[in-house]
Amino acid sequence: MSELAALQQAFGAAIASIDKAAETAAIFRAGPDAALARLAVYRGNVVGACSKALAGAYPIVAKIVGESFFEGLAREYLRRFPSASGDLNEFGASLAQFVANFPHTRDLPYLPDVARMEWLAHRMYYASDEAEAGLRLAPGIHLNSRFALLTSPWPLARIWEVHQDDYEGEFSVDFEAGPECILVYRPQFRVLAGTLSAGSYRFLERARAGAPVATALEAALVAEPGFDLGAALAAWVEAGVIVNAEEEK
Amino acid sequence: MNTVGVGLRAVHYEDFLACKRDAGWLEVHSENYFGAGGYDLHVLRRLRADYPISAHGVGLALGSAAPETGAHVAKLKRLVDAIEPALVSEHLCWGRGFGRHFNDLLPLPYTQEALALMVARVSALQEALGRRILIENVSSYLEYRASDIPEGEFIAELSRRSGCGVLLDVNNLYVNQLNNGSDALATMSAIARESVAEIHLAGHLVAPHCVVDTHGDRVAEPVWALYNAALKRFGMVATLIEWDTDIPPLEVLLDEARRARALQAEACCV
Repeated sequence: MSELAALQQAFGAAIASIDKAAETAAIFRAGPDAALARLAVYRGNVVGACSKALAGAYPIVAKIVGESFFEGLAREYLRRFPSASGDLNEFGASLAQFVANFPHTRDLPYLPDVARMEWLAHRMYYASDEAEAGLRLAPGIHLNSRFALLTSPWPLARIWEVHQDDYEGEFSVDFEAGPECILVYRPQFRVLAGTLSAGSYRFLERARAGAPVATALEAALVAEPGFDLGAALAAWVEAGVIVNAEEEK
Repeated sequence: MNTVGVGLRAVHYEDFLACKRDAGWLEVHSENYFGAGGYDLHVLRRLRADYPISAHGVGLALGSAAPETGAHVAKLKRLVDAIEPALVSEHLCWGRGFGRHFNDLLPLPYTQEALALMVARVSALQEALGRRILIENVSSYLEYRASDIPEGEFIAELSRRSGCGVLLDVNNLYVNQLNNGSDALATMSAIARESVAEIHLAGHLVAPHCVVDTHGDRVAEPVWALYNAALKRFGMVATLIEWDTDIPPLEVLLDEARRARALQAEACCV
């Protein structure tokens, strides 16, 4: 290993783990006590930047667990899933998996699904502004790429709603409401989340996988015998989930 | 754009969109605009019509001994091609290796090996982007025993060999002087006059064990004095007011920018 690589490895080890700091201190001119204190500043900066980025990607998880708990959670997450990119907006992809196994959030069983929803929303926030006209349902009618589907035993859309900064209604969530199909979508720049009927969910899921409209409709009617495609299409135009490709181009 | 600019941060988007502000140019952290779309990029596309833009990268960690992947450079190139910034800059630092990214601007040992690596990386980046870039001196809380080139000489040599410009962070020079006993004026005098194309000014925090480069306060008086010295040495150079933590109302940044402009006017009329 070159001298440069060795120095960086020692410095990096002392940032990743306080246990390595004493060993590393010797590569610096400052005395051992000063070097340890200053390595701690770097360690704090690294954790702080990652924690801030994680809170930015997961504002609802952060609100649910509270600021100081979230900092501890972020520190532990960073230890298990270190950042791999120089773009911190890519940090945090595995938080749902992490909180599912995190003993200190076991009394919040819905947290992994909230995290799953927030990561989809976070990625969608940076997605292209152009309507992607690749998935054609019918002449002139195309599925936008800017939506995501998920299902959960928890009322995610309501959890989303009451944690929005501009929400003014009653802060209550009925956790017994039963399983939900959720649509995460971005009509313009703000990412939104709402519930979908079983038929709507099935239709969008099949259509996005490339099924012909008739096949998707058949599946939707099995899931929800009263499914009304006309009404659903009108709602999806409103939500920007389907777009008129001729107008877009 | 030899005027004074301010860092564009999301909390001030609406202020800038509402009307033209008294800022000569705007600097953004490139990585925040790496998305294919979204609101941040939308705002930047609109503001570039009214202000020259500087794209300041914080994630390339150019001096890392670990091999480069190219993905980050590709995203930077997409942004640079889309926005056509007046200036593109990165840092004299490392920050990646051993399977992870530290997302921090970690100081390099000033050795021939580090210099050769920086020259190669900066040259490759300039080649990939098809333009000259600026490299900024970072703040440092620790100095390596292995360093055997003074910081100013290291920067001057990097600029000479790679052809890059220098983004001189005056606050970082001051922070390093307090932390490591380096001489800010000596560092400046080692750097060629014509190589400095941008100056950064920011606030710092005097903490118990060292001075921390927080970008979270007004520019300190000794840093203004150093800025004055920098203007005398390097002439009229585009200057940025940077603020990244505890970001105050935009008016406070513009107030700092006015002070920098007044110093520029004084220095150039002497």
